[in-house]
Amino acid sequence: MVEMVSRPYARAFEAFAAGNPDILCLSADLTSSCEIDGFRDRHPDQFVSLGMAEQNMMSFAGGLGLAGFRPFLHTFGVFMYRRPYDQLIASIAYPRRKVRLMGFLPGVTTPGGMTHQAIEDIAVMRSIPNMTILETGDATEVESICAAADSVDGPVWCRVLRGSVPRLFDTPIRLGEMRVLAAGTDVLVVTSGICTEEAMRARAALAKAGVSIRHLHLHTIKPFDAAALLDHIGSVKHGVVTLENHVTEGGVGSLVAETMADAGIGKRLIRLGLKDSFAHGGSRPYLMRYYGLDALALVRGIADLTGAAFDITEEDLAAARVDEVHSLVKAEAL
Amino acid sequence: MTPAELRRIANRIRRRDVQAVFEAGAGHIGGEMSVIDLLTCLYFHELSVDPADPLDPERDRLILSKGHTALALYIVLSEKGFIPKQEISTFLGHRSRLNGHPNRVYVPGVETNTGPLGHGLPVGVGMAKAAKLDRRSWRTFVITGDGEMQEGSNWEAIMTAAQFRLDNLTLIIDHNRLQQGASLADTNELAPFAPKLAAFGWHVEEIDGHDPAGICRAVSRATGTPDKPKCIVAHTNKGHGISFMSDNVAWHHKVPNVEQYEQAMAELAEAAE
Repeated sequence: MVEMVSRPYARAFEAFAAGNPDILCLSADLTSSCEIDGFRDRHPDQFVSLGMAEQNMMSFAGGLGLAGFRPFLHTFGVFMYRRPYDQLIASIAYPRRKVRLMGFLPGVTTPGGMTHQAIEDIAVMRSIPNMTILETGDATEVESICAAADSVDGPVWCRVLRGSVPRLFDTPIRLGEMRVLAAGTDVLVVTSGICTEEAMRARAALAKAGVSIRHLHLHTIKPFDAAALLDHIGSVKHGVVTLENHVTEGGVGSLVAETMADAGIGKRLIRLGLKDSFAHGGSRPYLMRYYGLDALALVRGIADLTGAAFDITEEDLAAARVDEVHSLVKAEAL
Repeated sequence: MTPAELRRIANRIRRRDVQAVFEAGAGHIGGEMSVIDLLTCLYFHELSVDPADPLDPERDRLILSKGHTALALYIVLSEKGFIPKQEISTFLGHRSRLNGHPNRVYVPGVETNTGPLGHGLPVGVGMAKAAKLDRRSWRTFVITGDGEMQEGSNWEAIMTAAQFRLDNLTLIIDHNRLQQGASLADTNELAPFAPKLAAFGWHVEEIDGHDPAGICRAVSRATGTPDKPKCIVAHTNKGHGISFMSDNVAWHHKVPNVEQYEQAMAELAEAAE
C-alpha cells in the first residue's frame, strides 16, 4: 500500500520559506488552491497578494528579483505562462532573475478543460534560454522542490502536485539527476510527473509477462543529462517508450527523441502523451485512460515496441496508489 | 541646477539625438524630443545616481518604459558619464551595445530591459515594493508613453501600487497625445489621465513636460502625498523643439533627409542661444 500524503506542498513551503526574509510568497488570488493559505496566515510579512493580475505579478517579481529577493510565484500553471508570456521573457528569463514559478495543476490533473490544463508548458519552457524545468512525481519531490528550485541561479519552472499525493520515493530531488527505478534489459521506459506512478503500476505485470523493463523517472527536465540517458538506451534490447502528462511535442518524448537523434541512435522510440490534442474536462483517471496516459497505454506501447502480445488487463495492474484519490467522490476543485 | 542650465543641457541632448538618428538612419525621433526634458531634469537635478557606481544599492532607479526612445536615454547617460560620449556614434551599429531598446546587461545605468510596452511600470512597482520591504529610502521613477497606457498590464500595476501605498514610486506619463500611427484620440482615447489615476488612489500632478522648473518641482520628494504613489501627467509635444516635427504624427520614427536635418539642427542651435 502506498502512503498518501495530504497537502505536502503546504508544509514543505512553509518549512522552507519561513524565517528566510529574502524569500517572498506571491499569489494571484489562488492562495488556498495553491496550498499557501496557512503560510499567508502565519507569515504575513513574507506574503504578497497581487490579485488576479498575472502580467503584473510576473514583472513585479522581476522588480523584486532586481533588488535581491527570491520570489516564489503561485498560481495554476496555465496562468503562469499563457497570459504573461511576454513578461516572463523580458522580466525574468532574459535577465535570469531568481524567480521560482510554482505552477499547479499540471496537464490533466485538473478537470477544468482546456483553459485550466497546462499541456504544452514544458515545450514552451524548454525553448526559453536560461530556464530550468522541474516536475514533481510524488510527495517527496513536492516536499523537496522548494530547496531544489531555490538552488538555481536563475528562473525555475516547477510543475507542482497538490492535494493528496502518493509517496513513491525516499530521497529528495537532486537537481540535474534522474531516478533509475528499474534496471532491466528489454525496454527503456522514461516517465515524469504523475505518469511515473502509472509506469510503476505496469511494471509488475510486465515482468510477469516476461518483459525486462529499465525505468527512468525525470524530475529535472532542463538541464538534462543526455549522456546518462544514452547509457541507459545502450543497455536495452528493443528501444524506448516515453509517457508524459503533456503533449508529445516538445516535452519528455521530444527530449528523448532529440537526444537519440543527436547521438545517431537507431533504436525505436514510442512517445506516449497527448497526441496533438487539447483535453476536455473530466476526472483525472478518466482523462488518463481516454488520452492514453495511463499504465494500460504504456503496456500497449511496449507491446507495439517489442512485437509481443500481452494479455494484461486493468485488473492485472498493481495498485500503486490507494483508491481514495482515484475515486470520483472528491472531484478536484477548480 | 537652474532651469536655464537644464534647458541648455536638454538642447544639447536634442541636437545629439537628431544627429545620431540622421547618421544611423533610424530612431524614434518624435518620442525622443518629447521625453528629453523629463530625462534631463531627472538625471541632472533629482536622481541620486553615480556613474562611478551604477549598481549602488542605494541609488534611485529610473525605468524608461517607452524603450523605443532608448537613444534619448543613451545620450543622457553619456552626458552624465555612464558611457563615453563618443559611443553615441555607434547607435544601432554592428556590435554596438546601444541597440534600439535599452539593455541592462550591456549598458550601465539602464535598470531593466524595456521595449515591449506596458512592461516598465510593473517592474517599477516590484522595485518600489522591494525598497519598502527593505526599509530603504531610494526612489523608483518610471516613464511611460501615453499610448503605452493602453496596455492592460499598466493598470494592473496601478492598482497594485496604490494597494501597497508605494509613495516611493513616481510614474511620469509622457503625454504627447500621439502614438505610432495616429493620435490617441483617434485610437483609444485615455485622456484625461489625471482623474483616472486619482480614482485609482494616486497622487496626481499635471505639468508642462517641457518646463524644467515645473518638472523639478513635480518630481521632488516635497511634492506628493504620504502613502500614495505619484503620477505626473507631463503634457508634451512629440517632436518638440523642431517646428516641422512638433505634434506631427508622421515623425514617430521617420528619419530626416539632408534638408530636414539641417533645418532641425539650425532651429535647435537658434534655441540654444
